[in-house]
Amino acid sequence: MQKESLLSILLTYAPKILEAFSTTMYILLIALAISLILGALIAISSLSKKKFLNRFAKGYISFIRGIPTLILIFLIYLGLPQMLKNAGIIVKVSTITYIVVCLGISTSANMAEMMRTSYLSVDKGQREAAQSIGMKDFTAFRRIVFPQAFGTAIPTIGNNIIILFKETSLAFTVGVLDMLGKARAISAASFGANRLELYMVTGIIFWIICVIFETSFKYIEKIYTKGRKQSTS
Amino acid sequence: MINFKFILDSVPAILGAVPVTLMLALISAPIGWGLGLIIALIRRAKTPVLSQILQIFVSFMRGVPLMILLYISYYALPILVHNYGLEIGIEIDVTVIPAALYAIIAFILEQAAYSSEIFRSSIEAVNEGQMEAALSIGMTKPQALLRIVFPQALAIAIPNLGGLFLGLVKGTSLAYYVGVCEITAQANLLALPAFNFIEAYIMTTAIYELISIVSNKLFGKFETRLHKFRIGVAV
Repeated sequence: MQKESLLSILLTYAPKILEAFSTTMYILLIALAISLILGALIAISSLSKKKFLNRFAKGYISFIRGIPTLILIFLIYLGLPQMLKNAGIIVKVSTITYIVVCLGISTSANMAEMMRTSYLSVDKGQREAAQSIGMKDFTAFRRIVFPQAFGTAIPTIGNNIIILFKETSLAFTVGVLDMLGKARAISAASFGANRLELYMVTGIIFWIICVIFETSFKYIEKIYTKGRKQSTS
Repeated sequence: MINFKFILDSVPAILGAVPVTLMLALISAPIGWGLGLIIALIRRAKTPVLSQILQIFVSFMRGVPLMILLYISYYALPILVHNYGLEIGIEIDVTVIPAALYAIIAFILEQAAYSSEIFRSSIEAVNEGQMEAALSIGMTKPQALLRIVFPQALAIAIPNLGGLFLGLVKGTSLAYYVGVCEITAQANLLALPAFNFIEAYIMTTAIYELISIVSNKLFGKFETRLHKFRIGVAV
């Protein structure tokens, strides 16, 4: 293997891999939306007073936390169509839909936990005070509880988004050309001659984006919580 | 719809792969956490140069997806070993090194990075007065760390370490892509001939859920046992 400087390797391969950047971001954003919606539903049922919903939410969260994302992807991508086919239903959806749904489901458990704990972190007196001045439940939530809960939730949301972003790299397992999928495709085209360089470059790209995410979440947190009374000690 | 006969027939084969998964996790976790503790202490002591290098290492390990780490380790380490062999004058046959070893090295480094952050924050969470009090009654610094700070820090760290361990067990499923025959690989192998994917993955899911329940229980037990150390912690 001839010696090349890391920088020249980076400059050769990074543009090619970054072509798939939009795919990765697309997966990230849609999966994030799905996970937030699912997470909100689960968080609501885990906070409700109905025992059945409580149990369901608890079971869902621990189930999703126990299953590796890869297995979830296989289960839904390979298993579900097989099962539906046996039942006489043939589904035709793009592979990217599968990956988006799988990642959305696997992140939803973390999101639900995040929403639940940050909701509970807001002092009960805040809601009671809001109600005492005549706010309706939803108004109290929207104007009093949510803004405070959101402040405490920002770091966790950021963490969850970073975890989700890293998990988008699993998209290659179903053949989606995200950044890692692209790297694999390029390496396959050259019969694996430059695979190590490609994976290193992909890793560095992921790293840089993660650092950007981290710094921006810290910045958002700083701006958002500035001048606001923190609800947790 | 679901081929129950297939499930019954392939249970022994899949269970046969469970030790591989557990081995990957149980070897990587202690070594990784040991390294993580060392990293945490070095970064806490703010040793010049070393501390900065470790900071970059931790940031890199946390920023790169595990899948890519596995690939890098799987493709880079054989070259490194081979080149090292040439330097000291022997031709090392890298093909005899099992793929599991590369996977374990990737897992160890990942665990070291994540656990170092956990240890750092939990050592910081122990009230400073504890250390000062220990020093004031004449303990040396290592003694104070070992006897006073660590037990309390561990009590704080255990829940997070439990989560980290679960993440590791789940992460071992990725080792399938670098040719380690653990549960996921075994399931794929069994499912392929007759396309029994749903059955194979339902079994795999059940096994992973079982492992996660057991590990949660164990860490929970450990947490209650360490609870006595939490008394002095100012929260």
